[in-house]
Amino acid sequence: MPGGGHCPDCGSTELVEDSHYSQSQLVCSDCGCVVTEGVLTTTFSDEGNLREVTYSRSTGENDQVSRSQQRGLRRVRDLCRVLQLPSTFEDTAVAYYQQAYRHSGIRAARLQKKEVLVGCCVLITCRQHNWPLTMGTICTLLYADLDVFSGTYMQIVKLLGLDVPSLCLADLVKTYCSSFRLFQASPSVPATYVEDKEKMLSRTLQLVELADETWLVTGRHPLPVITAATFLAWQSLRPAHRLTCSLARFCKVANVELPCPAASRLQELLAVLLRMAEQLAWLRVLQLDKRSVVKHIGDLLQHRHTLVREAFREGPVGLEAGEEEPRGQCGGPGQGKEEVASGSCGLPVGKRPASPALLLPPCMLKPPKRACPPPPVSTVTGDENISDSEIEQYLRTPQEVKDFEKAQAARQDARSVSNPP
Amino acid sequence: PQGAMTPGIPIFSPMMPYGTGLTPQPIQNTNSLSILEEQQRQQQQQQQAQAQQQAQQQAQQQAQQQQQQQQAVAAVQQSASQQATQGASGQTPQLFHSQTLTTAPLPGTTPLYPSPMTPMTPITPATPASESSGIVPQLQNIVSTVNLGCKLDLKTIALRARNAEYNPKRFAAVIMRIREPRTTALIFSSGKMVCTGAKSEEQSRLAARKYARVVQKLGFPAKFLDFKIQNMVGSCDVKFPIRLEGLVLTHQQFSSYEPELFPGLIYRMIKPRIVLLIFVSGKVVLTGAKVRAEIYEAFENIYPILKGFRKTT
Repeated sequence: MPGGGHCPDCGSTELVEDSHYSQSQLVCSDCGCVVTEGVLTTTFSDEGNLREVTYSRSTGENDQVSRSQQRGLRRVRDLCRVLQLPSTFEDTAVAYYQQAYRHSGIRAARLQKKEVLVGCCVLITCRQHNWPLTMGTICTLLYADLDVFSGTYMQIVKLLGLDVPSLCLADLVKTYCSSFRLFQASPSVPATYVEDKEKMLSRTLQLVELADETWLVTGRHPLPVITAATFLAWQSLRPAHRLTCSLARFCKVANVELPCPAASRLQELLAVLLRMAEQLAWLRVLQLDKRSVVKHIGDLLQHRHTLVREAFREGPVGLEAGEEEPRGQCGGPGQGKEEVASGSCGLPVGKRPASPALLLPPCMLKPPKRACPPPPVSTVTGDENISDSEIEQYLRTPQEVKDFEKAQAARQDARSVSNPP
Repeated sequence: PQGAMTPGIPIFSPMMPYGTGLTPQPIQNTNSLSILEEQQRQQQQQQQAQAQQQAQQQAQQQAQQQQQQQQAVAAVQQSASQQATQGASGQTPQLFHSQTLTTAPLPGTTPLYPSPMTPMTPITPATPASESSGIVPQLQNIVSTVNLGCKLDLKTIALRARNAEYNPKRFAAVIMRIREPRTTALIFSSGKMVCTGAKSEEQSRLAARKYARVVQKLGFPAKFLDFKIQNMVGSCDVKFPIRLEGLVLTHQQFSSYEPELFPGLIYRMIKPRIVLLIFVSGKVVLTGAKVRAEIYEAFENIYPILKGFRKTT
């Protein structure tokens, strides 16, 4: 400490320069007595050069924080504001960033990684508050690569020992559906395409739940499923005018990016709906296909639990469909009679409902790409004799070595010729 | 979450204390003991219609409603835990009456088991498979390292060997391959070598020896020092679909499931220290093992958990 300084109160020599806003002070660190203080007021000429001291600078909190960390914390706050998150999220995300920064591996990381870390902290905060934010959104906002993001995300979750809940599907549906620009007529949206938000939301939710129940969601990216479900919900609410619209056009009109897998999710969902339609006699006779089933999605969703239970089964094929006990009422008083009749008086096979399909994820239903033969039982002990001839086959003969060297030299010459010094 | 969980997922009964920070098999590090525990569970399952997992847990921790076998198990537990530090098996286990055991003692161990020796000897797959899950994980890849004990000139090796590739600008090692066993080796100028691609420990050792012999024939005084298996990867199929969302809910502290990033669930088992990749199709990949028994043990640990997520109609 500055030589010769004694506190008049307690006599200690531990005096600290501690400014109080714009006034410099010499304070005893033991008893807190102010030993000397600078001038509080300034002359007119001095004041012209002064600048306002912000709170964060005057409290000295940024003296311990490095510039790159400050930059990162600013980015975290900016990102939270851009996403219009509640203010409590901002504090949590900032705390996570500071916590991460305490680890040397993060402090020494590249700037790209630190930038991505900003997104990770915001994502973790949102997940913990069940705010549906996808990694794709954050990567788009940060102009970051998903691979880099995923590596940093997994690392930081492990490093901080955090418990991050899964993405909440229902909330994601609500947020994502609301982003479709279909709820008001505009020059780009024809009148027949406009739809009521609540109706579309509720039907999309039901379709997504159906997809979840029939193994179309597990292990897959959630967004394409929701896109396909939204499209089907929208189409089914006014099929007469909307059946002609394709998925790609729908996304373009709604001003939403079409994710690649959405088309195959759509086909899978339609296949499930067709199977369910097979269980309703009045739909079975209509011989529905992938386009016409859209008109009946409303009915199918209304009875989806029963239909899924009857259209699919868990185990291997057991009884014939007709031999099973008469099914319960599904959708109308005349229904039960018809089904019982079809079972008992042995209508031709075409009229009977199809035997239940297996309720399995699509990856299990597809035939395996290549037959996997069982590995041959090997009796290797590891200590066998290694014959010389076996090793010789891996060595070049002297002639081969000469040829190879010649070829290499020739290549070098060719290269030096093409790049003249 | 509302949409993610279907109704009727069988959540574990509260009696099963999963999520206590340990794997469901809080057992000592003896494989023979774990196998016997499996057999014991089978016995109890026949006796009482209790959940297999519950009996497993109860056996180790509480010995509540079970009969003398449970207490005997507990007795062995204590003796085993004492002996684990000593490393010697001197006590006769009172518990395992001969009629409860259906298999002969494991080869290489004394009849007075469980002898809590460190699990160095790989257990033959026949015993764990038949009793518990009936599925044996197949080894797919073994990574091993060996020190050839002399400095090597990579340029010479690349010049005089047919099966070598060397791009110093890309990677500072020679990549050599042999046909039998079908493996790849990375040979560094310090004399250290990494051998990958073998399907068993013995094959990996044989392959490493062949690479060392090739280097010897190229004129270097190669030796074969400190051969060590660094990693073993196995895979198997439980043949039923798995609700990954449910699994990540009940086993939060071990699981990581991010469908936006990877379609499988990453399960980090603590004991044994194995990482499992669990997919919706029921295929399971196990990695991170140093010995074969760890893979088998990890699969036997995870199989009851996965069965719990199988929908039953």
